[in-house]
Amino acid sequence: MAVKTIVGRLLYAPENFISDGVIEDIRQHGLNADRRDFIRKSFAVASAALVSGHAVAAGHTGGEGDPAILTLPKHSTSLGNPVAHLPYGLPSNYESNLQRRESPGLMRKRESSVAFTPLQGLFGIITPSGLHFERHHAGWHDIDPASHRLMINGLVAKPKVYTLGDLMRLPSVSRMHFIECGANTAMDWGSPALPSVQYTHGMLSCCEFTGVPLSLLLDDCGIDKRNAKFILAEGADGASLTRTIPIERALDDVIVAWGMNGEMLRPENGYPLRLVVPGAQGVSWVKWLRRIEVGDAPYATREESTQYTDVMPDGLSRQYSLIQECKSVITTPSGGQRLLEKGFYNISGLAWSGRGKIERVDVSVDGGKNWKTARLESPVLSKCLTRFNFDWIWNGKPAIVQSRAIDETGYVQPKLAELRSVRGTRSVYHNNAIQSWRVEAAGEVVNVQIS
Amino acid sequence: MFKFLDCLFLLLCLFCVNSQAQTYPSVGRPATVAEIAAWDSDVRPDFRGLPVGSGSVSQGMKVWEKKCASCHGDFAESPAVFPPLIGGTTSADIERGRAAGLTAVTENSKTTIMKLATVSTLWDYIRRAMPFDAPKSLTVNEVYAATAYLLHLADILPADFTLTEKNITQAQARMPNRDGMSVAHGMLNVNGKGDVSSQACMIDCRVNEQSVVVLPPSVNGLNGNLAEQNRTYGFVRGMETSVRR
Repeated sequence: MAVKTIVGRLLYAPENFISDGVIEDIRQHGLNADRRDFIRKSFAVASAALVSGHAVAAGHTGGEGDPAILTLPKHSTSLGNPVAHLPYGLPSNYESNLQRRESPGLMRKRESSVAFTPLQGLFGIITPSGLHFERHHAGWHDIDPASHRLMINGLVAKPKVYTLGDLMRLPSVSRMHFIECGANTAMDWGSPALPSVQYTHGMLSCCEFTGVPLSLLLDDCGIDKRNAKFILAEGADGASLTRTIPIERALDDVIVAWGMNGEMLRPENGYPLRLVVPGAQGVSWVKWLRRIEVGDAPYATREESTQYTDVMPDGLSRQYSLIQECKSVITTPSGGQRLLEKGFYNISGLAWSGRGKIERVDVSVDGGKNWKTARLESPVLSKCLTRFNFDWIWNGKPAIVQSRAIDETGYVQPKLAELRSVRGTRSVYHNNAIQSWRVEAAGEVVNVQIS
Repeated sequence: MFKFLDCLFLLLCLFCVNSQAQTYPSVGRPATVAEIAAWDSDVRPDFRGLPVGSGSVSQGMKVWEKKCASCHGDFAESPAVFPPLIGGTTSADIERGRAAGLTAVTENSKTTIMKLATVSTLWDYIRRAMPFDAPKSLTVNEVYAATAYLLHLADILPADFTLTEKNITQAQARMPNRDGMSVAHGMLNVNGKGDVSSQACMIDCRVNEQSVVVLPPSVNGLNGNLAEQNRTYGFVRGMETSVRR
């Protein structure tokens, strides 16, 4: 174990265990499997050296000072890389641990599976495009935008076909919204099942989306407002995934989007066109959008009958339950992390509501007995993630940390027991219960549940 | 009189402003009949959109064995790749229109036919998305046949049945969970009311401390080494969790 006490401090890992030669090699050639492996081994060797005392990591003990300061590093004494060295920039090689990851055993077919966003390492409210969670039903393709079409038909006077060029010349809007899969936190309905916030809550992302309001397109096609009650949104993927959306939503804040965080959508997230249905579960945000049909009755597609329905204790399934209700989670400290020592910590997390803005977030560090209100960081936007922060001085004793969000409708994020008393324990979707993380005396953080 | 004319004028003006909705000349073009037919394959619960065609249970068995059984099993019962499609329903369910098993089983043992209320859903999805690795490759008659075979496996249709657009309502009338759906909830609309209500207690709140359930250590490591899923510097690290195969 790479732990050594120096002047009362736990040094958990040497922070410069990779040699300059390796860094230069990675800089030139990228990080392939071999180099990853090498870094891992270097880490182990450096850790062992630290424990055995051969590498003195710091000079706190009255020497001249920290070698990280006293010895000028290569980056301060040599010329760095030129501009456009990486024409499309990449994260630092030191950040390679934060990646989208699958949860083993969840799905048998990787084309119909999930990769979770590493919430434990993200800041603010915007999800980097490359870390936006993935959920596909028939895999993803990189679709040629020049051949992509959007068709609008059904109860419209003029069924129309639009190219990307057509759509992108229309008046567009850019809005930040969260997207959460209806099955986020599904595995924890019965009991704690997953070790970290990436897997318990990582079917959650938040981006700025740019596109044209769907209402504009429906008007352009001459929607039959008297008879239109629902729309069907359909994807161009192998599953041609379809979802029903009520017409009030379709004419409200729904966007036909091509932009995500200032660039085009990523292929995994629907390039070149997806529906953005603010506040609704992710499956309604149909990716690779190819068609909108206007109708007078709901469609009961597969994704709203055998999937994404809430089976209640009496055996009835709630259909078209698409709103993601108010929810929050602490991302630091969170499951699978380890606090290195007692003292000050910034408890930080995310809150969101499919019905509007976050009004307040409370935090408890004693398992829910006492709560204090956290700071909400700006911006606080409707149907968007809100970042909250809370000062905490950890005394080194076991503690259970929780967050509880309240949205502008006054809805209070429920305890798990309250949720179960209405929905039972066999439900899958829409688990928005308060999440508890127990910080053990050793600093390890574990997923726990409290009634 | 003058006042009346004034009002009329005002009303007409309002009408003009209202009718001057923004138009977008040169943006988009009319969809052709053939284009709509090529994409618009959806079938609603009232069977709007269902094309003319037919397929028998025995034809369906052949389609099934060739194109479906490798994932779903010979009798659509296999959980090997996807959750089982058929199983868990009874003749009593067919009579009643509710799959009784849904109140008794865990999610993992729910089958598609237990949850499914509308046969249109089955037909629509086979047409648009099946087989998994070759979606949209079945003919309309093959879709009818595969649907008939599945419904036969669930004892909804007899072995000698030929399913068509005309008699599919007979299958619908025997769907085991046809009355199993509810839209009586507040989760469809933004302004709907949630079903769970909680209070924001702040001080000395009641907590059952005996009720703490901890993540079982046996699952530790199933999701890989968490130390490699957090930063290797900073004020928190990931826990070292062994990787199991």
